[in-house]
Amino acid sequence: MIAIVLTSLIFLISLWLIFSEKLNRTITSMGGAALMCGIGIGMGFYSEEQAIAAIDFTTLGLLLGMMILVAMLEPTGFFQFLALGAGRISRGNPLKLLIMLGTVTTIFSLFLDNVTTVILIAPVTILICEILGINPVPYLMAEALLSDTGGVATLVGDPPNVLVASAAGFSFNDFLTHSLPIVLVAWFVALALLRLLFRRELAIQPPNMEAVMKLEPREALEDWKTARRVLIVLGLAIFTFFLEEWLGISPAYVALSAAAVALVWTRPNIQETLRHIDWSVLVFFAALFVMVGGLDAAGVLDVLVNALRSLEHFPPVLLGIIIIWLVASLSAFVDNVPITIALIPVLKGLGASGMNIQPLWWALVFGAGFGGNGTIIGSTANIVVASLSERTRTPITSKLWNKRGLPVMLATCTVASILYAIFYSVFE
Amino acid sequence: MLIRDCMKQNVFSIPDTATIREAASIFAENHIGLLPVVNEDGHLIGVVGLREILKLELPDFFDLLPELDFVHDFGAVETTRPIAEQLDHPIITLMRPATTVTETDGLLKALSLMLKHQLNDLPVISNNGRLVGIVSRVDLGTAILATWKNIGNEIA
Repeated sequence: MIAIVLTSLIFLISLWLIFSEKLNRTITSMGGAALMCGIGIGMGFYSEEQAIAAIDFTTLGLLLGMMILVAMLEPTGFFQFLALGAGRISRGNPLKLLIMLGTVTTIFSLFLDNVTTVILIAPVTILICEILGINPVPYLMAEALLSDTGGVATLVGDPPNVLVASAAGFSFNDFLTHSLPIVLVAWFVALALLRLLFRRELAIQPPNMEAVMKLEPREALEDWKTARRVLIVLGLAIFTFFLEEWLGISPAYVALSAAAVALVWTRPNIQETLRHIDWSVLVFFAALFVMVGGLDAAGVLDVLVNALRSLEHFPPVLLGIIIIWLVASLSAFVDNVPITIALIPVLKGLGASGMNIQPLWWALVFGAGFGGNGTIIGSTANIVVASLSERTRTPITSKLWNKRGLPVMLATCTVASILYAIFYSVFE
Repeated sequence: MLIRDCMKQNVFSIPDTATIREAASIFAENHIGLLPVVNEDGHLIGVVGLREILKLELPDFFDLLPELDFVHDFGAVETTRPIAEQLDHPIITLMRPATTVTETDGLLKALSLMLKHQLNDLPVISNNGRLVGIVSRVDLGTAILATWKNIGNEIA
C-alpha cells in the first residue's frame, strides 16, 4: 500500500513538473526514475533488472535509427532544396505555395521526425514569403498542422505511434491499413479548412512573384552525393518496413540497420553526425519507461485497472470515441509522449482483464496525434514554427493559434471519430 | 616601435548618450569600420562595429539560414529598411566590449589581438583609460612590413 502511494506520488509530481514546465522534462524524468528505482529496491518491489526490462528498446532503437538517418540528411541541404523547389513550382501563387509546402512537409513527416522536418523547412518558408512580400504565418502554421496530422498515418511518423505499435504489436502495415485511410481524409479536411481560415491572406497577390523564379534550389543542395545515398537507404528501409511481418524482424532492427548501412556507405564524421541526435528525447523516453515500470511493479496499475473494469459494460464504440477526445484534449496542452506512455499500461491492464482493447489502441493513436494541433504548445512542431515566426514582423501568437489551429484539431478529431465509428469493425 | 607611432590620432568617437541614427551618420560620413563609444570624461566604454549596426538592415530571419547563395533576387526583402523607432534607440544597445591596446604597447601585442579575435581595428587608450587613437589592421600591417626591408641587411 505504501509502495502504491509513494510511486503514484513520484509519478504525479514528475508529471506536474513536466506539464507546468517547472523543470526540463528529461531532467524530471531522470530524477523520477532514479527515485522510483531507489524506493523500489529499498522496499523490495522493484529491482534494477525489472527497471531495465521496463525500457522498451524497440521504441528507442527505432527512434535512434531514424534520427541518425535524418542527422545524415540534414547537412546536405536536401530539405532546403525541396522547400525552394516547392516555392518555384508554386510560381509565387499563395494557394499553390501553401499546398506545395504543406505536402512536402507532410510527405517527409510520414517517415521522419516532424520536428526536424519543420526546423529545416520553416526558415526557407519564411525566406520565400519575405521575398514574395507576403505574411509567412499561414504557411508556417500549415506546415506544423499538416505534418502533425500526416505523422499519424505511419508507424514511424510520430513517437506515440512507435510506442503504441510496440505495446500492441502493430506492424508497419497495420498502420497503413488502419490509420493511413483516416489520416488521408483528415489531411484533406485540414487543408481545405486552412484554405478557408486563411482565405484573406491567400487572396493577396504577392508583389514580387517573379523573384521566386530566381531561387536556385540546386545551389542549396550542398552535398547531393550524400543526400542521394541516404535517400536510397531510407527508401530501402521503408520498403523493408512493409515486409517486416514476413521477414519476422522489428522496425527497430530495420531502422538501426538502415542507419548502419548509410553510415558505412557515406562514412561521415561520426561525432558530428551524433551531435545532431536529440539525445534528451531518448533519455526522456527511457526514464519514463522506468517510472511506469515502477508503477506497474508497485501494483498501481492493478488498482487503476480494477477501477476501470466497469468500463467493460460501456458501449465499445463510444468508449473509443471518448478516448480519442480525452487523449486529444490532453495532448493539446501537454506532450503526447508521457500521456501515451502512461496510458499504455492502463490499456494493457484492461486487456489482461478480458476486454477487447484493439480498437482502444487506435483511439489512442488518433487522439495523441491529432490533439497536438489544438494549441500553440500542443506539439513540438507548433512550438518550433511559433518561435521561428518571432523573427518575422508577424509572430504567431497563442490567440491566433486558437483561431486557426484549434479548428483544425477539432475537424480532424471529428473526422477520425466519425470514420472510427463507421468502420469500427476494422479496428476490432 | 610602439603603437602610438603607427596609430591614427584623429579618431572618431561617439558619446554614450547618442542614438543609432547619429552613429550611422558618423560611419557613413567618415568611411570608418569601428566607432568607439566614450563617456563624458572621454573614457572608452565600448565599441560599435559596422557589422553590428548593419545587422539592422538585415531581417532577423537571415540568422536561421546557414547560407543564402541560392537567392539571386531578394524581392521584397531588398526594400525593407530598419524602422524609424529602431534608429532612435540609444547606441549603447548595439555596443560590445572593446578589445583595446595601450599607446605604449608593442606592435606584436596588437597583431596578436587582431589575429586571435579577428578584429580589423583596435581602439588605443592611454594609461589612464582615455581614448587617444585607433590602429587598423592596415596601419599595423604596413608598419610591421616596413621593417622587413632591413632584414638580412643588418650584417652586411
